[in-house]
Amino acid sequence: MTQTEIIDTLKSIVKPYVQNQQAFETLDEKTDFVKDLQINSANLVDIALDTEDAFGIEIDNESMQRMLTVEAALSIIEEKRAQK
Amino acid sequence: MIGNDVIDLDLASRQSNWKRPRFLDKLFTGFEKELILSSADPEKKVWDLWSRKEAAYKIVNRETGERLFNPTAFECLDDGANGKIKYQSQILSTKTFYNTSRIHTVCSEGEKLLEKIGYCSRIQISKPDGFPVFVQNEDTFPASVSHHGRFISCVYLNR
Repeated sequence: MTQTEIIDTLKSIVKPYVQNQQAFETLDEKTDFVKDLQINSANLVDIALDTEDAFGIEIDNESMQRMLTVEAALSIIEEKRAQK
Repeated sequence: MIGNDVIDLDLASRQSNWKRPRFLDKLFTGFEKELILSSADPEKKVWDLWSRKEAAYKIVNRETGERLFNPTAFECLDDGANGKIKYQSQILSTKTFYNTSRIHTVCSEGEKLLEKIGYCSRIQISKPDGFPVFVQNEDTFPASVSHHGRFISCVYLNR
């Protein structure tokens, strides 16, 4: 999986929970799930679960607590994939 | 300090599927899951406990300046409408209000402080340092704003 494929997968995971479509259209690594995309905090857990399923990884609580931005999500995905 | 959280139950049931596998595991501790699964209305209990965690998180976030998504680090210690919630070595007090369409929790460091909570409107709230305060007669009080679906709740802590 290339970096671009990982980002595309992550975008498709996040999309259904986004409440600010404009911010989603200009999504980049710095995009914040809550502040920018206005994702409801209870849906952050859905993003974690969908990410686990899509990449076949397990996101422990310590990783999940940092998963508030695209950048953090990408680094967690890379880290967990490397451990597989 | 003060935190509050309101949940629109109709919107919550559309936004989240609490029955999806591992959903409860990521949000709740073993004790909390027991409370939920033994409840007559598990879905309502999910949002009841969740609103307490969110209200408590707002206080901790304001005190530490740290943003974290760490719901299981907050544990509801009991079930009633006047519940305690634990974060690390800190125990916070909560008060939860229910009706058929919403759940609302206010949280502070102790029951005495909960009695000093007042309600205000959003236009009376400003965020000079990034955190909400209620301004009245040139005096400022810590405040908390919560918005979900059809509901908005603004509360402040009186002296």
